[in-house]
Amino acid sequence: MQIMKGLVTGFVGANGAGKSTTMKLIMNLLQADKGEIKVFGKQYVNNERDIKERIGFVYDSNVFYENLNLKDIRKIIAPAYKNWSDKQFYDYIKLFELPLNKAIKTFSKGMQMKTSLALALSHDAEFIIMDEPTAGLDPVFRRELLDILKELTNDATRTLFFSTHITSDLERIADRIIFIQDGNILFHESIKDVQERYKLVKGNTNLLHQKIVKGFINIDRSSNEFQALTNNAEEVRKSLGDQVVIEEATLEDIMFYTKGARQQYV
Amino acid sequence: MFNLIRKDLIIQKSQIMLFIPFVMFFAIFADHMSPFFIFLIASLYIPLNGYIYDEQVESNILLNSLPYTRKEIVAAKYVGSAVYMILSIAVAGIILYLFNFDFLFRDIVIAAGLFFFFAALTFPLFYILKPGNIGAFIMIGLIVSAALLPPALRFLAGHLTAITDFITSLSTTVLYISGTAISISLFLISWLASQIIYQRKVF
Repeated sequence: MQIMKGLVTGFVGANGAGKSTTMKLIMNLLQADKGEIKVFGKQYVNNERDIKERIGFVYDSNVFYENLNLKDIRKIIAPAYKNWSDKQFYDYIKLFELPLNKAIKTFSKGMQMKTSLALALSHDAEFIIMDEPTAGLDPVFRRELLDILKELTNDATRTLFFSTHITSDLERIADRIIFIQDGNILFHESIKDVQERYKLVKGNTNLLHQKIVKGFINIDRSSNEFQALTNNAEEVRKSLGDQVVIEEATLEDIMFYTKGARQQYV
Repeated sequence: MFNLIRKDLIIQKSQIMLFIPFVMFFAIFADHMSPFFIFLIASLYIPLNGYIYDEQVESNILLNSLPYTRKEIVAAKYVGSAVYMILSIAVAGIILYLFNFDFLFRDIVIAAGLFFFFAALTFPLFYILKPGNIGAFIMIGLIVSAALLPPALRFLAGHLTAITDFITSLSTTVLYISGTAISISLFLISWLASQIIYQRKVF
């Protein structure tokens, strides 16, 4: 798996698929049983400081000392980075309307997320890694956050990697999608390719011959109708033509149907 | 590393304000207590508080996501605790002096020696045990050692006269120097052990 520079990569998969584990591996919080991890083309051994200097991190739970206020948190985080910019930090604090003198534990989930984000963005990080940044946020702030992230990546100097359960987030800002299941990558493609390749097929069950069935990732049957996901819309169109209805598959459909499907079909 | 050491002060800002009244309390009410014991408690105050604070949150995830190596994080704890020990003993010494609490330089040396010994034994636990269990572990350890140590020492004194004779034959200077050397070496060994443990840890 490779995360491409300058792009926004969304990371999806069911609960327990291994998203957080992957993120922790990238952050060197876990050791890999096999395989190797390189960040900016470097391995962590001997390069830990260099690598982390260039990463901004946002975790799904609060990792900051909750009894401290933002001023004190800044005193701990800021000196850790060579490229820390107080100006940038205070600009984000202002933008996010965060209080400087209140303890982190009094912050709402959204404020904690904004705190993480402000800290992650104030040291000119090239690679920003976020574990479910939009989970638990209200729809208004979620959209604001996505707009901020979108803006950050406009000049293509920053790489963004984030996991999410909310597939509309991906449709809004992701360039590429990595989908994992049980620790394996099911696909890693641009969002455009995914939307072109995956389609939802609806039709009468008597059309389901063995050969046709093989072309589907998973089939949902009711009494005489079926609904199925294919990753080869072209082929289905050729063999079944007008007998079936072919619709756009949302990412949610893809996640739902691939769950339980065997990998070779995907 | 300096930032990591300073971090321990920032995270327990409010506790540090209590440090002076804490020592004053001993200076006023603990006149029957040995002064070395007051110095020892004072010297452990900031380092132990720092560990306890770090445990309450996912500080391991935070610190390891910042541009620090695991070696530095452990080193900062050990070096920092020695620095805070010296500062705390100095402050405690001033307070005791102001309150006319008599003490000798010997008390400070004993306290520092015991500090290194106690730190050497407990610090690695913070890297081995799960957060939340350490407080209980240290309490049980203290009670068990309080119960077992005196009979064990009596047994040694009674049966191993060769050892006690040897110890009593040493001059106090030799005794202090060797005691200090032993506890500092234990501290350094403990540092190395903590570093090895921490490097293998997953978060």
